[in-house]
Amino acid sequence: MAYINKIILNTFIDGPGSRMAVFMQGCNLRCLYCHNPETWNLCTNCGECVKACKKGALYFKDGRVKYNKDLCVKCDVCIKVCHNNSTPKYTDMSAQDIFKTAYDNRDFLDGITLSGGECTLQYEFILELFKLIKENTKLTTFIDTNGYMEFDVLKKLIDVTDGFMFDLKALNRENHIKLTGYDNEKIIKNLEYVSKMGLLYEVRTVLVEGYNDSVEEIEKISKYIFNLNDYTKFKLIPFRPLGVKGKLSNMKQFDEEKFEYLYDNSKRILQSRLKE
Amino acid sequence: MNGVIEILSNTKLDYKQKRAALSSLTENSLPYVDISDKARKYMEDGIICNLNEGNAPYRPRYILPDYKKYFENGSEYLNIKKPSDMYEAVNALLIIYNYVPSITGYPVYLGNVDELLEPYCDTVSEKELENLLKMFLVNIDRNLPDAFVHMNIGPRDTRVGRLILKLEENLKDAVPNLSLKCSKDTPDDFIKLAIKTSLEIGKPYFINHDELVKVLGENYGIASCYNALKIGGGSFTLVRVNLKEAAKLSKDYNDFIERVLPDVIGCQCEIINERARFIVETAKFFGTSFLSREGLIDISNFTSMAGIFGLYECVEILSGMKMGADESADEMAENITKRAYELVKEKEGLYCYGYGGKIGFHAQSGIDSDIDVSAGVRIKTGCEPEIFNQIRLEGKLQKYFDTGVSDIYIFDRTAKSNIDGVLTIIKGAFKSGIREMTINTSDSQLIRITGYLVKRCDIEKYEKGEPLREGTVALGADSIKNCRILDRKVRGI
Repeated sequence: MAYINKIILNTFIDGPGSRMAVFMQGCNLRCLYCHNPETWNLCTNCGECVKACKKGALYFKDGRVKYNKDLCVKCDVCIKVCHNNSTPKYTDMSAQDIFKTAYDNRDFLDGITLSGGECTLQYEFILELFKLIKENTKLTTFIDTNGYMEFDVLKKLIDVTDGFMFDLKALNRENHIKLTGYDNEKIIKNLEYVSKMGLLYEVRTVLVEGYNDSVEEIEKISKYIFNLNDYTKFKLIPFRPLGVKGKLSNMKQFDEEKFEYLYDNSKRILQSRLKE
Repeated sequence: MNGVIEILSNTKLDYKQKRAALSSLTENSLPYVDISDKARKYMEDGIICNLNEGNAPYRPRYILPDYKKYFENGSEYLNIKKPSDMYEAVNALLIIYNYVPSITGYPVYLGNVDELLEPYCDTVSEKELENLLKMFLVNIDRNLPDAFVHMNIGPRDTRVGRLILKLEENLKDAVPNLSLKCSKDTPDDFIKLAIKTSLEIGKPYFINHDELVKVLGENYGIASCYNALKIGGGSFTLVRVNLKEAAKLSKDYNDFIERVLPDVIGCQCEIINERARFIVETAKFFGTSFLSREGLIDISNFTSMAGIFGLYECVEILSGMKMGADESADEMAENITKRAYELVKEKEGLYCYGYGGKIGFHAQSGIDSDIDVSAGVRIKTGCEPEIFNQIRLEGKLQKYFDTGVSDIYIFDRTAKSNIDGVLTIIKGAFKSGIREMTINTSDSQLIRITGYLVKRCDIEKYEKGEPLREGTVALGADSIKNCRILDRKVRGI
């Protein structure tokens, strides 16, 4: 069983082709700019959200917060009031459940992508699910990760995974710590291994003003990816305040002109390997 | 005479539109074709509607000339010889288009243009070819300003087909309507080019060629909105039943299936046959048309069309359930569609030789004056379920329609950078039974109204009262208001 935040049956931005994306609950980094911090933690059943929900979609049963989807109007007040960076809406699902959804929709899909939160925290579930997918369909299996996992976990995942998308918050170690609270050494090591295995489909960096948006940093990342291999795509994403909690919640959307400048700079290095 | 003055002084109509309106007024000064009082009552009550075809039809609603034959033999009537190069071929087409009658006054079928022109490609340079095709498309948009004017390409990958897609993407005109026939042999690369075009301009339609060949044979074309008809033939008329209004006459579901639907469809077929009789016997269309004399059309390829629309509301009234949200509602929707199909097929279709003496069954896509009633068998705009479920349901329903049915899927703009993903969905849709479908993005400058396109900027001009070339803009503007066209669910966000 795994904690599932959300399933999107039809996405065009989470890997190649038409994909089903599964967003898993729980994360091991604490990125300041995270636009879905409600995926960080599991629910502690404190009940704040039950009190705040005006529609009666949340209630207690056996000391646990329960969620009635039919009554929910998606106002997200439960997420806003949660002090624990969690949500009452995630569900417990088996690999068989998710597999069935993918299988039933296989004619419309090229593959399935697991994302988060940080999906690799529940890697045993991924191994089980991807094995089912591989044995029974032609769908490709992708993982969208921050890369912060033990090397032996990564090696196990590689056996059942067709592609990885890495979030590279910063190449500079200090910037990475400032942005996420953690060192990037492990992440870089994992990223380079995945690259060597020919499975690094895409690297993404969110540009955050004053943290990782210097011309030098972006040039450094672009050159790093350019020299890494000849196939990985890079995507630059401007910071958006939507959903952000804490220190950066009042930060404005990333400056468009600056984004274009950094994008053009990166484009000169990576050419067609920089995604639009 | 008031009607005449009203038309003459209407500042929103241009000269040609006034002439067409005056012609309709004259036609309607005659009594309606001879039908029973019961059928007349259903029309007056809005349960059956003949889509403003007029009281005394003097030409078939849709005609699909055999342009291939025209190219082989030329035309004595038009004094056109068999074309010998690309210039003559393009010119020959532009000439004959002005002589093809239809309900709108404009030709609703322009031919499988890529197959027609491809043999002449080597008679001109690459640059000339592109210039000629551009001129051809611009000429069609300006001289045949009606969004029901429909061009076909595919299923074979051709230079002309590719150039038309490229030019259309740049021209961004509402006319011509465009369909790409896709078979299992059509290269993915060609379909992907069409997807790229479609995500920019809302056309072409994607046609499940292999499926339609099973129904109509190889020799079919897509005309007007999305009507699938035999080439060298067409349809005399299209009369539709408003299932929502018919449901209101019923005590319950059984009463609807056993009493109301048979009675209404019986009258629908009666009207259809009387209109076909009038065209053939009174107006003597086939005796007067050069298309018929020169073998470019033949009555043996014709049929008539019985349409239905408002299935969503019909199910809602009869069951209180919603299609797309409830499996029992979906089941009821299919049962009603199947029953309507069987009832139409039980009747004899007068002069419907092209369909074995039967009337074609059609999912009618709605008109500007429809309010709170959904097109054909589509799910109500804004109430569509998750896209794959919608496709599966529509796939089940589309198999009953042998003269045209379609659905519209609006994607988020992120689809533009993932054409492969859209291709997978289209192939999945075909596998699920979808026969005809169209895609677009929510920010497109061209909006698919029901089966035709209008430009967003033209709607703004129309609202300001400016006269416009395309009469279809007025239809589109009113449909947007009445049918919530812009509320369609956006997919892939």
